Amino acid sequence: MEILRLGAFIEQDEILKIIALIFGILIFATALFWGWGFLRPEANLSELKMRTRSWWVMAIIFVTATLVNPLISYAAIAFLSFVALRELLSISKNVRPADRRILFWCYLAVPVQYYLAYKGHYSLFLIFIPIFMHLWLPFMLVIRGVTEDVSRSMSVLPSQLMLTVFGISHLAYLLSLPDIPGFSLGGRGLLLFVVFITQMNDVFQFTWGKLFGRHKILPTVSPNKTWEGFIGGIFTSTLMGYYLRFLTPFTETEALVVSFCVACAGFIGDVVISAIKRDIGKKDTGDVIPGHGGFLDRIDSLAMTSPVFFHIAYNLYYLNNS
Amino acid sequence: MKKLVLYLLYPLLIRNVLRLILGVHYNNREVLQSGTQCIIVANHNSHLDTVALLAAMPLPRTPRTKPVAAGDYFGKTGLKRRLTEFFVNALLIARSRPKEGESFPDPIAQMIEALDQGYSLILFPEGTRGEAGKMQKLKKGIGLVLQERPGIPFVPVYLQGMGRLLPKGESVLVPFDNFVRFGQPVYCPNMNADEIVARVEQEILALSGEQ
Repeated sequence: MEILRLGAFIEQDEILKIIALIFGILIFATALFWGWGFLRPEANLSELKMRTRSWWVMAIIFVTATLVNPLISYAAIAFLSFVALRELLSISKNVRPADRRILFWCYLAVPVQYYLAYKGHYSLFLIFIPIFMHLWLPFMLVIRGVTEDVSRSMSVLPSQLMLTVFGISHLAYLLSLPDIPGFSLGGRGLLLFVVFITQMNDVFQFTWGKLFGRHKILPTVSPNKTWEGFIGGIFTSTLMGYYLRFLTPFTETEALVVSFCVACAGFIGDVVISAIKRDIGKKDTGDVIPGHGGFLDRIDSLAMTSPVFFHIAYNLYYLNNS
Repeated sequence: MKKLVLYLLYPLLIRNVLRLILGVHYNNREVLQSGTQCIIVANHNSHLDTVALLAAMPLPRTPRTKPVAAGDYFGKTGLKRRLTEFFVNALLIARSRPKEGESFPDPIAQMIEALDQGYSLILFPEGTRGEAGKMQKLKKGIGLVLQERPGIPFVPVYLQGMGRLLPKGESVLVPFDNFVRFGQPVYCPNMNADEIVARVEQEILALSGEQ
């Protein structure tokens, strides 16, 4: 196996183009928020600044990982899942003290799921968490013998795995997709495409909402989200997906449809995690560890966009090729 | 040899495992960076507390830090005593001072002796692991030691959620996000033992955010 693929990789100038684009946008965003904060110190930009900072970290890890060795990418994405899972389990009000040992099984599911993604075992990859863990965790809970609130744990633990591990692991599986004729970039192009569209979609929705937001879309869940932000964001993301289709094997129409679906899924992921956090925030805030929400906020939309994007791409182009 | 093991184990290996895998978040750890001699005082819920605090020490300080541990618990067998003294660099003391006719070393004198040799100490003034979120009444030892050595500051630490990783009586480690919050070093000149104990309690509780 090649350890250093730098040479072969640089030749694919589409990827270079997008890497330049990513860092260009990051530099632009950093400068913009810095300047904005400097001119109008009263504007509350901490959320945006925090986002840009974590994107810098993500972009650097991502680019070095794809440039040096794909194995690092699998490990990095698996680690992202692991930390998100740990965060969700730590702040969850629905994990009982009796579930402590069961959580061990939940954590163990992370390396298994990513190993399956790495090996490209498509059907095992698909059923491991949705079927196997959904059967195994209740069984382990029953063996512990504490029945009070056990049905709550039976549904909460597997669903947290779905959110933090199953969804995100599709990003890793993209890298294991076989080469198809007429499309040289392979999984890396697809991975860049979906991550980039998802992150930019968050920004577009935020910006449109800030500029034109009037009508609240889900006031009890996310008071800052508006119809204007939602529609404007989806429109811009779809357009951007259209112009970035050189990263994918998609035709023009397919690129539009896929980007539209990814943008919608991003919104769904965002509000689902928001709702969970709101639920936790409302109940007994005293017990919740403060200073949380870093990782979950970063992966919320990805948890939904990755599987949606993966399965559209897979069914369009990889079904008969693997 | 022991020094080398402590160097390799705590600042390099254990600190990173704690942070990346187990979910320990150190807050305001910079107060330790100077490496000056101090007594770290913290609430106590888990065996991991000691490990997490020792791993928080800056590299040059690591082998010159002694966690103070209960001799009756960790010194039960010769093997247990040697392991704790080697891998945790522990100072094993009795949990009470000798009364008349008893002939074990005075714990206060032991701690002062370690301080005079230049060691920093990690001390859990509750004396034992308690329930999460509930501070027990502090023992007087910390006051008696600081009264004798007013030139050494104490650094208050509040450990939040460590008991979830490894609660009392459990043997399976499970990762959970938790916080180790350091406060500013506090000097206690011209204070008597009771005042110092009250001050320590007040500083730790202030970090818990539940006053």
